[in-house]
Amino acid sequence: MSDQQLAVEMRGITKQFPGVLANNHVDLSVRTGEIHALVGENGAGKSTLMNILYGLIRPDSGEILINGKPVHMAGPRDAISLGIGMVHQHFMLIPVFSVGENIMLGREPVTGTDLYDHARARNAINDLTKRYGLALDPDARMGDLPVGLQQRAEIVKVLYRGAGILILDEPTGVLTPQETKELFVVLRDLVKSGKTIIFISHKLKEVLDISDRITVMRRGQVVGHLTTRETNEEEIATLMVGRAVLLRVDKKPAKPGAVVLRVEDVSANSDRGVPALKGVTFDLRQGEILGIAGVEGNGQSELMEVIAGTRHAAGGRVLLGDRDITTYDARTERDAGVAFIPEDRRGTGLVLSFSIAENSILGRERSPRFSWNEFVLRLVAIRDWARRLVKEFDVRTPSIDVAARNLSGGNQQKVIVAREMGSKPKVLLAAQPTRGVDIGAIEFIHRRIVQERDGGTAVLLVSAELDEVRSLSDRIAVMYEGRIVSIESPDTPEERLGLLMTGGGKAREGAA
Amino acid sequence: MPLGSVLFAFVVGALICLVTGANPVDAYSGLLCGGIGIACAQGENSALQISNTIVFLTPLITTGVAVALPFRAGLFNIGAEGQLIAGAIACTAIGVKFSGLPSPILLPMVLLGGMAAGALWAGIAGLLKATVGAHEVVTTIMLNYVAQWLLRYLIIGGPLQLREGTSTSLPIGHGARLPTLLPSDNSLIIFGLPASVYRVHTGLLIALAAAAIFAFLLWRTSFGYEIRAVGQSQKAARYAGISVRRTIILTMLIAGAFAGLAGAIQVAGVDHNLTDMYFSDTTGFDAIAVALLGLGSAVGIVVASLLFGALHAGGSIMQSDAGISSNLVLVLQALILFSIAANFVGAIRRGLPFGRASAELPPELPPAAGLMSEAAVPPPEPT
Repeated sequence: MSDQQLAVEMRGITKQFPGVLANNHVDLSVRTGEIHALVGENGAGKSTLMNILYGLIRPDSGEILINGKPVHMAGPRDAISLGIGMVHQHFMLIPVFSVGENIMLGREPVTGTDLYDHARARNAINDLTKRYGLALDPDARMGDLPVGLQQRAEIVKVLYRGAGILILDEPTGVLTPQETKELFVVLRDLVKSGKTIIFISHKLKEVLDISDRITVMRRGQVVGHLTTRETNEEEIATLMVGRAVLLRVDKKPAKPGAVVLRVEDVSANSDRGVPALKGVTFDLRQGEILGIAGVEGNGQSELMEVIAGTRHAAGGRVLLGDRDITTYDARTERDAGVAFIPEDRRGTGLVLSFSIAENSILGRERSPRFSWNEFVLRLVAIRDWARRLVKEFDVRTPSIDVAARNLSGGNQQKVIVAREMGSKPKVLLAAQPTRGVDIGAIEFIHRRIVQERDGGTAVLLVSAELDEVRSLSDRIAVMYEGRIVSIESPDTPEERLGLLMTGGGKAREGAA
Repeated sequence: MPLGSVLFAFVVGALICLVTGANPVDAYSGLLCGGIGIACAQGENSALQISNTIVFLTPLITTGVAVALPFRAGLFNIGAEGQLIAGAIACTAIGVKFSGLPSPILLPMVLLGGMAAGALWAGIAGLLKATVGAHEVVTTIMLNYVAQWLLRYLIIGGPLQLREGTSTSLPIGHGARLPTLLPSDNSLIIFGLPASVYRVHTGLLIALAAAAIFAFLLWRTSFGYEIRAVGQSQKAARYAGISVRRTIILTMLIAGAFAGLAGAIQVAGVDHNLTDMYFSDTTGFDAIAVALLGLGSAVGIVVASLLFGALHAGGSIMQSDAGISSNLVLVLQALILFSIAANFVGAIRRGLPFGRASAELPPELPPAAGLMSEAAVPPPEPT
């Protein structure tokens, strides 16, 4: 009976928001000592349910039992005292404080004269980190730590407050593959020492890898309770989306044509002024997808920006056909036929307060098609264009006048993809084209990228998801520390790519 | 939200009246009379009151635009007052120097001169922002002082002084004056008064045109699109290939031209010379409230200008009829601005979540409030 004991039981939870039934009679039961995955697409109601469990939102009806006892929560304070801890997707940390100070925040040990007791704080943290095998320096400045360690500090903070039930909201969204692996080791150790974990995610591979049982949500309702060992990716995806989805990318062999884009010995600095690209050279051909694999922060973003014209090259050349476009700015590049799907969808690719129609001409507001003499906007042409894109790229929206902010992540990304593909580019730069996007939209965007390739566009793809790079690319360039260390074929084993990505392995094809 | 703010201000204003022993009904009927010519207790001439209100609201519209346009680009122009004074000075200087020229030549000269001077004044702040990153709130405030003291120098002992011992400039030539809307013919009686007492002038039409141009520029042109893109997300603007620096400089130049136009209109249409009244003028600061209250839209600015113009004009009638200091008007204006900045009304509508550890925080800080807290700098003391 002990392994069947329920740490959390939520029964018939219903929450109505204006216009949306966010949770509709949701049942969730989490056993003590298990890792329970809560999956669903954006807007399925996962976050609402967890915010209810953490006392942030009060449900309209339904009851919650913690360790078998009915509870009533008026706020997170109650949840914390019941041993529930939440690690938010966006960290709640103060960058200028030390790790120790961040963890103690709100419960600082003090000496007799009300002074912060550094020694006791450090000891308490060292105790915790040792017990759970979480290496962490309590004196490091939080802002200096990599994201993975910041997340670890969040977990320690929650443990320090005595949590027995941990809610992790999309914990791997910000992590590199290595950091994800390390996190999973930590989570398994935590479960071994008796903690219960609720793991929210929409990355199915990870869910299958880490969880014991799975609850699937769609449109505010629970559509499936699964046992991880007895299910597979397809089944979960089908439940999540509500129809069968294609997880593999269906594509014919590429028919590469002439070289369209030539990058020669390009170097560039990062925002912080340190060299990020140290002599990158490669060719990109018509009708092929060249994928760039690499751990984030090895120069991929900078490479895309240099080609797209939003970052200055410190050296080298970029040739589009015979034209030297190294010094072109973003607008001239776009006019020359280089389209760019930037990695930061919300901050860079869209103006969130602008309507879909307005966003559909971002960067093209002076083109003859949409403006008269680069001055007066052709509103009719813009609206026609936006309507066409919305239709062709299946953007789910009631109208083209809806602000981009009010679209789901997948639909926001579709607006960008539509705009960039819609202009019939010669070269398409796609940086993290499906990051944070739900499965249905991923499927759609992948299909469009392949279509674009088949239509003769040269596609350069950067993605932190190795699976995505492998399934879409015709060739894979591995980047490490600002260089392309090898060019591989897409059926190269994952282990080899992983090794190359971290600076190991031997290059082939004479890559620089 | 804006209506709520106005309502809030009037309710608190009424409470202030009650506490200080005045009758709020008298106070507000005085304001109504002086503002829009209704509910007049002492037989004031309604048409004259409306005319006065229009005279006050005219420069508010143009300066309101001068604040609202940079606002859209994410810039807070606190310097509309300085730009207005620069425009007034340029208008006067040209109007005095070339006083012999006929109106078809001189009038465009003084108006364009005023616009150029205002553009220059704001352009300095724009250039500094775009090149060395100097914050426009600080630079525009400082340029207000420069303009005010320059004005003081010019008309007290300086080259524009009328004569020793005055703090007034020489009058501008007749050709530099904006015609009134009504003929200045004393034999013509309109609404029971000779036509020449109505000061309503053609500057109103220019101001309305300015508001229309502002709306067109912002919503119907590529440049307006770029201004809004820069204001909402500089990263997205850069990605689009929009030059953020160029947009900032151009926006400030255009805004300054609008404010300078307000100064030129004020001299050419009403005062016909510079006086020490310009030392204590607050049009450019009221314009901030007008732009906020009007939510940065052209129609909103015109409506908010009407409100502030009516308050301004109504204050004196309230003082003479009800015996309540016209300073109450300033209190009301400040309360309106305060409640917009604090977004009180919105908070009340959300059910006062103060003090409670509520998850349902306001989804976003209203941009006006964000900018207000950034620019919590008092306007210069009237001297």
